[in-house]
Amino acid sequence: MTFVQKTHLHYQLLALTGEVDLHNSPQVRKQLLAIVESGNSVIVDFSSLSYIDSSGIATLVETYNLAKNKQLSLTIVGARGAPLQVLELTNLNKVFPMKDSLDEIKA
Amino acid sequence: MLAVIKTKIEHLGDVGINLVESSGRLGVFLFNILARLWMYRFPLEETIKQVLFIGAKTVPLILISGLFTGMVIALQFYDTLIRFGSVELLGAAVAMSLIRELGPVMAALMVIARVGSATCAEIGIMRNEQQFDALDCMAIDSYHYVMLPRLLAAIISVPLLTAMFDTFGIGGGYIVGVLIHGVSDGAYLVGMADTIVWNDVWMGIIKSFLFGLVIMWVCLAKGFYLHIEQKQSGAVGVSQATTQAVVLSAVLMLFVDYIVSSLML
Amino acid sequence: MTSSNKSIIDVNNLVTHYGERKILKNLNFSVEKGEIRVIMGGSGSGKSTLLNHMLALLTPTSGSIVIDGVDVVNANRKTLLKLRQKMGVAFQGGALFSSMTVGENIKLPLQHHTELDEHTIDIMTRLKLELMNLAGFEDLMPSELSGGMLKRAGLARAVIMDPKLLFFDEPSAGLDPVTAVELDELILKLRDAMNMTIIVVTHELESAFKIADKITVLFDGEIVITGTVDEIKSSKDIRIQNMINRRARDEHLDAEQYIKRLTTGKN
Repeated sequence: MTFVQKTHLHYQLLALTGEVDLHNSPQVRKQLLAIVESGNSVIVDFSSLSYIDSSGIATLVETYNLAKNKQLSLTIVGARGAPLQVLELTNLNKVFPMKDSLDEIKA
Repeated sequence: MLAVIKTKIEHLGDVGINLVESSGRLGVFLFNILARLWMYRFPLEETIKQVLFIGAKTVPLILISGLFTGMVIALQFYDTLIRFGSVELLGAAVAMSLIRELGPVMAALMVIARVGSATCAEIGIMRNEQQFDALDCMAIDSYHYVMLPRLLAAIISVPLLTAMFDTFGIGGGYIVGVLIHGVSDGAYLVGMADTIVWNDVWMGIIKSFLFGLVIMWVCLAKGFYLHIEQKQSGAVGVSQATTQAVVLSAVLMLFVDYIVSSLML
Repeated sequence: MTSSNKSIIDVNNLVTHYGERKILKNLNFSVEKGEIRVIMGGSGSGKSTLLNHMLALLTPTSGSIVIDGVDVVNANRKTLLKLRQKMGVAFQGGALFSSMTVGENIKLPLQHHTELDEHTIDIMTRLKLELMNLAGFEDLMPSELSGGMLKRAGLARAVIMDPKLLFFDEPSAGLDPVTAVELDELILKLRDAMNMTIIVVTHELESAFKIADKITVLFDGEIVITGTVDEIKSSKDIRIQNMINRRARDEHLDAEQYIKRLTTGKN
């Protein structure tokens, strides 16, 4: 798993590549919480993500909740395949704002 | 007739084989638990939890039985000593018999009754409900996670409980000897302090330490090997295992008592 | 040997004994990745024994069981521990620890095997409880749950580490029909979303037909057939037919012996 952080409009974009699992989700958690703690809304780009386990999903839930408390947002972009199915299994696709592509996010 | 003798001999053989088998199992079981001390980190938190559990279950019982034991032996010794006109030895006699013999043995019996039986039943039920299989499948080591903390807790608790038993027993002796029968309290206490030597105290500590080990070892093993040793399954198996654990641990405890006494006297 | 890249379990020439009695008589089968395999059989067919051997809880007399490339019969302790972290097992009665709450039970594997933050572990635990329809039962003790709930809590614990391979012992035994159907659907969802390989051991025909990709039928320690649901249904084997039509084993009755059994109690 690797991730790249970029600025997109007034969001911080975190693009995840590969597989998020028990071993590397703490890194993702640290990064996501840091972004929100510093007062930025976050977009998580799933388009190159092939797998996310429930520790990754739990990390997203925690970040989403923190962002909400700070009147910020967490948006998921480009989820498909297995990661999308995991979101659907846990019904979180009905909770997180989900976008197909970055173009759908406007300033 | 020949057939009857033959079956009797066969039966004897079976008993022998069973005895060897189950002693072997007990030995391997203890080795497996103790080996976890080197293989994994020390289970400090779980051990403390188990010490509290054993303490909470046994302390009131220990205090009450200690008090009464002290009272009754003081009464018996008083009755004996007064015939020889040497009641000033009462304190020493009570303390000596409590510290060297009665304290460790009685405290151990209370622990068997209160904790040993409960532990054996608990472990047996865990076996019945496939909880050890579940631990194996979750890659969690049963010996380290379940057995070692309980064994260590017993080794730590039984000497402590014995000390409490001794203290309350000496107090009980004081009530009977000094308060009821009018032995001078100076004679009771000073006589005690003059007579007891460190060797007596060590004997009590070593015994209670070994008793803790033997009791928990046997009770854990009887529960753990329920599925191999008991003919009947379910609740009947658990109750049989518990009875066997109580009997075997009491007998082994007394055997160890004799060995230690004969080595140290 | 039938080992291929796609298979996750390979059982070869498995023979096992219980004491003197032969229980499994030379079993051979393999399970593919992502498959839901149902192992069916009545009581005494050896299906529970087979499960215990696949879980490496028992040692066979001969033969091999290879799971995800690991020969579980001869594997050393370390290799087996590693493999087991990739496997989840849901036991028949849940096998929860009675001294811990439901939540503590479910998070136990995470606390033992991962370095995850306590918050993450808590959320993961609740996600699984939600999935099993057990939201809000986190702080109850196992003794306060019904049989069906215990089973689901056991399943939650089995999948807490997102295993590649899930074993499920008798999912619908002792459940009311509605709960049983819910569990079947859950098994299908888990496979689809988590891409798990799932081995279900059961005697329930209906549930087997609903969830199985392939069914292996055991009779008296032997495999009668391994096949898809359609193949099972169209099998000409009399034992399979009897099983589907719920007919008792048709045994020849020896009148004389029968009377002898009834009057003397001896065969």
